[in-house]
Amino acid sequence: MSYLDSVWLLIAIPLVSAGVLLVLGRRADRWGHWLGCASVGVAFVLGLSYFITLRGQDDRSHSVDLYQYMPVGGLKVDVGLLFDPLSAVFVLLITGVGFLIHVYAVGYMAGDGGRRRFFGYFNLFVAAMLLLVLGNNYVMLYVGWEGVGVASYLLIAFWYTRPSAATAGKKAFVMNRVGDAALVIAIFLMFATLGSTQYADVFAGVGRLGEGTLLALGLLLLLGACGKSGQFPLQAWLPDAMEGPTPVSALIHAATMVTAGVYLIARSNPIFNANSTAQTFVVAVGALTLLIGCIIGCAKDDIKRVLAWSTVSQIGYMFLGVGLGGGAYALAIIHLLAHGFFKAGLFLGAGSVMHAMHDQTDIRRFGGLWRYMPITYGTFLVAWLAIIGLPPLSGYFTKEPIIVAAFEREGWTAWLFGWAALLGAAITAFYMTRLFWLTFHGPKRWTDDIEHPHESPPVMTVPLVLLAVGSVAAGGLMVSALSVTDWLTPVLGEHAEREAVMPHGVITALSIVFTVLGGALAWALFRNGTALVEQPAGPVVTAARKNLYTDAFNEAVFEKPGIYLTRALVYLDSKGIDGLVNALAATVGGGSGRLRRLQTGFVRSYATSILTGALLVVAAFLAVNYGWLS
Amino acid sequence: MSDLQLPHINYAALAPMLILFGAACAGILIEAFVPRERRYPVQLGLSLAGVVAAGVAVITQAGTRTITAGGAIAVDGPTVFLQGAILALGLVALLFVGERSLEAGGPFVAQAALIAGSEPDRRQVVRPGATEVYPLMLFAIGGMELFVAANDLLTMFVALEVFSLPLYLMCALARRRRLLSQEAALKYFLLGSYSSGFFLFGIALIYGFAGRVDFAGIHAAALGSDRSNALLYGGLALLSIGLLFKAAAAPFHVWTPDVYQGAPTPVTGFMAACTKVAAFGALLRVLYVAFDRVSWDYRPVLGVVAILTMLVGAVFAVTQTDLKRLLAYSSIANAGYLLVGVLAMSKDGLSSSMFYLVAYGFTVLAAFGTLTLVRDADGEANHLSRWAGLGRRSPVFAAAFTFLLLAFAGIPLTSGFTSKFAVFAAALDDGQTWLVVAGVITSMVLAFPYLRVVVMMWLSEPAESTPTVSIPGVLTSTGLAIGVAATLVLGLVPAPLLDLSTKAAEFVR
Amino acid sequence: MTVSDVLLLGLGAVAVGAALLVVTTRHLVRAGLYLVVALGAVAGIYLVLAAELVAWVQVLIYVGAVVVLLLFAVMLTRAPIGPSEDLDRPGWPALLVGGGSGLGLAALLVDAYRWSTVDRDQVGDAQRLGTEIFRSWVLPFEVLSVLLLAALVGAIVVSRPEVGRARPRPPDRGER
Repeated sequence: MSYLDSVWLLIAIPLVSAGVLLVLGRRADRWGHWLGCASVGVAFVLGLSYFITLRGQDDRSHSVDLYQYMPVGGLKVDVGLLFDPLSAVFVLLITGVGFLIHVYAVGYMAGDGGRRRFFGYFNLFVAAMLLLVLGNNYVMLYVGWEGVGVASYLLIAFWYTRPSAATAGKKAFVMNRVGDAALVIAIFLMFATLGSTQYADVFAGVGRLGEGTLLALGLLLLLGACGKSGQFPLQAWLPDAMEGPTPVSALIHAATMVTAGVYLIARSNPIFNANSTAQTFVVAVGALTLLIGCIIGCAKDDIKRVLAWSTVSQIGYMFLGVGLGGGAYALAIIHLLAHGFFKAGLFLGAGSVMHAMHDQTDIRRFGGLWRYMPITYGTFLVAWLAIIGLPPLSGYFTKEPIIVAAFEREGWTAWLFGWAALLGAAITAFYMTRLFWLTFHGPKRWTDDIEHPHESPPVMTVPLVLLAVGSVAAGGLMVSALSVTDWLTPVLGEHAEREAVMPHGVITALSIVFTVLGGALAWALFRNGTALVEQPAGPVVTAARKNLYTDAFNEAVFEKPGIYLTRALVYLDSKGIDGLVNALAATVGGGSGRLRRLQTGFVRSYATSILTGALLVVAAFLAVNYGWLS
Repeated sequence: MSDLQLPHINYAALAPMLILFGAACAGILIEAFVPRERRYPVQLGLSLAGVVAAGVAVITQAGTRTITAGGAIAVDGPTVFLQGAILALGLVALLFVGERSLEAGGPFVAQAALIAGSEPDRRQVVRPGATEVYPLMLFAIGGMELFVAANDLLTMFVALEVFSLPLYLMCALARRRRLLSQEAALKYFLLGSYSSGFFLFGIALIYGFAGRVDFAGIHAAALGSDRSNALLYGGLALLSIGLLFKAAAAPFHVWTPDVYQGAPTPVTGFMAACTKVAAFGALLRVLYVAFDRVSWDYRPVLGVVAILTMLVGAVFAVTQTDLKRLLAYSSIANAGYLLVGVLAMSKDGLSSSMFYLVAYGFTVLAAFGTLTLVRDADGEANHLSRWAGLGRRSPVFAAAFTFLLLAFAGIPLTSGFTSKFAVFAAALDDGQTWLVVAGVITSMVLAFPYLRVVVMMWLSEPAESTPTVSIPGVLTSTGLAIGVAATLVLGLVPAPLLDLSTKAAEFVR
Repeated sequence: MTVSDVLLLGLGAVAVGAALLVVTTRHLVRAGLYLVVALGAVAGIYLVLAAELVAWVQVLIYVGAVVVLLLFAVMLTRAPIGPSEDLDRPGWPALLVGGGSGLGLAALLVDAYRWSTVDRDQVGDAQRLGTEIFRSWVLPFEVLSVLLLAALVGAIVVSRPEVGRARPRPPDRGER
């Protein structure tokens, strides 16, 4: 028995707490939120202790099978957990950031009647997310994957009075289903070709797979990851999902849940390492999404929307990292962790601003707030500098190596993806500076009902300060003192030093120059505030305001045909076969006309379709018999 | 005149059916001799006792492998498992059928043939319903028990009729929306007889080929007969049409939405759960025992049927606005998933299909059971728009229904996920990749209609006309609790039942 | 061509011809009577094949009971005299379906048997059938009685007069 055998407690504690909160109902209203916080806090402490235990072990991976889940023929699926460096890091991120969000939510949700329920869903989410990263096979990962999905719809739908929340929930569901289908097919493909879904067996068997199978597997996993992480072409749901409810639940979609896609690809690194085409696809998706995200981010005026698109863009960087392979896996994970800190800081800061401004989210109606909310201002400042990647804040240490790694690719793709990453850095600096400046500096453009904005209560500002400290220190610490890269080596492989197409120093200098230029441009443009209403603009800005027409594209290519198909089917269902028969027979009895209004379909038309089907089936069987098909 | 030698009959093996038929006959006597006002409790008690006793009789047969009654009955692992499943599901269905607290006099009327809407018909709405429904239900369950145990085509045909006829009748007995109910019964009867015709003609062709109708004989003849194979394939095609009709597979599904919608909701649940078990049990036996030697030839054809069924079920479900019709199309799609498991043609295929039947049966029973609770002055309110905002009015109820819908959608930690996973894995193990891909994609499509219901319940404002959720009586509550608990338990720890079905998965020939 | 071949051909032609008349005539009652001819011809075929019991059962049940029931139903519901115009529906879809299935099945059977012959060593008399039923098919036979019982109950449930009323009005009001 090892201490790590009890790692299931991590999942059980939030799960039990969620159960208590949701089952007890109103009886738990008074203390429910504290139970919610405590369960995640305990999970964090427990996770830390497991982490330390693992550090002390020689074998940095502990797998434990709890019970047999599904014995289906050759496939044995167990409920099994795996605690290794990669899952350990994610456990700390999920419970750590999760705990801070919980504490913050106690303050933010204080006036809300549904606070207990909110914490119930929240704990459910944490439990599912932990299951996702702790499972030792793909089926467990999928169970957690769907679990976070369900919890996420519940959280999106929490503000169900707003129609936009309902629409957002639907969109999230649709796009996630596409990704989920891909993931399920990938899992079945593993089972079909390798006979197992255990990580250990799958990765050991990668060498036995053919090129085509590996590519298919890689692309399916990528599509699954895109669905959950809001990457192109499934990116549209993510910003909408963040728009609906509070910054608190938006944060789930920023710091934790959406990183599941990155986790999936990093976890499956042996599969991607074995197939460079699949890797190139990941890189391309990452590069494209990071550009889409930051370009659209420039054109948005809603503080949460900007942060939402910024999340899409930052996850693009992470995909770029995991796609580059080799040492870049660890870089992507480090960026993910750092992003967890500063994006949390930004979202919670935005929440604090909204709290002060009567739920106003339009940055054109902010301005000059630095004087009124100093703590929020300070922490936001730190997070802003961190995300645009100025040294010595954490973004610099985590984003810049990814850019360098992009330049380390072979051939012309190094230039393509390297410059895409650089350009992305510049645009990120532009839109984040715009956001920051318009919110906290410049002239006041408040709506009339706001007299004197006030700083948020300590229960909200303390997490902010903690996150700001993390934003300052985390990046540098993780790269140097904590050497997260080495820690992750057993899972993700060695970091191999490769030649970049430009010297490292030049790339570093370029990225800093680009960042400063982007920020300076934004400062120059928005130093004196901005117009209160949307101004007519050129084609580029208009396109960006319309999400680069991706929604329109989805609508034209998927929604419209879907609607027409549905209409056609409704018609067919209600009168199609009847209509057909009527056209043939040209008579409808008087008595049957009355029935017709009540229910669709005549027995005779049903009998006709059964007969037609029967003839087809018999014909097919006879065709087999006489060998017509061969 | 030669001596007539009676075949040996193993009465213990026949006990479940004998008990059920006996209880049904006793029920008819009760109709004749017990005063009207006391019939309901007596009939209900007798039926429940009969089903439980038959269940005990089935359990004692665990491990038996025998062919008895002149080769008409095969008692083996699948028989015992499926008979047990039918009885367990039938018991829950009986709880819903027996509920009388939701509506005065129960969900049935006494006279099915009165002209719908006529004055006497309106009068009977407020009077107690027919108690003949209990013996009819016992006949149906007994017929299903025989159906999954039948070891030759003739017995199978008789069993098919024995369980179909009571179902036709029960469809006509709905208390509300009488016209729909009568129409459903008539449609079901006409189309059911029609499909029986196919089945019977198939038997004739098979007899022409093999000269016998017992499964072992057909199996032996398939190796080599001096007759043309056209008879074998033609016969198999017609036989499977008859069975696929009962299983509601496309394109033989057309009756399903209308009948499910028109029939009294407890009966619909009974049909969706138990008829499916019976139909697939028989299909499994026919394909695995009698025709296994030609499986390579019919698999592609039935594979196309499976894909078509999944597609039709999933795509048409998207367009439905009536919950009963929606569940009907969902049950069609589930027939497709079951076919995927059946076509695996392996021990795993058999065991996972049997597991699927049980898992799906409990979920669908609970789902139809919840439908009986949402009512307004005109009876059940099944239109989707009427469910707007129910989540706010009755959160517990709506949460339970949401859970069931998640199970239908195949979300993990519900039996819907484990059962789909099991049949897909079995099919994949056998190289039926195309079926699995189609299954995964359609099950993703099928999630949307369920989501629409969830969104409707939780995200819409309750309207003035939003119906109320009745407080369920003891019977319905018990049934719902069993259904929801089974959905959850089979999702969390499916291994014991999967082990059981694997152990049972061997036919006797 | 033996005598039985000629008889079979002749009876078959009668059966098919009468069946065609059943679906083409505009007189409902005549359709029922043609049905008697068609079913009777089939009974004749059974006789030629030496299945005497089946032949008489066919006569008793189909010709005797079913057709009579049918005719009674016609008489009780509408009792038309002369042609019924509303029976005139375009017949070609039905012709297509019926003719197609019939010809297809015929082709299938002809192809399956070709010129092979089947020995007809025993006559299908009552004793042989009884022995078979009570030796090999005793269980299905007994279960059939259950089916009939269920049908009986069902017929009562569906068609019985209004129950549970203390007859507040005299029965001649046409409610029963």
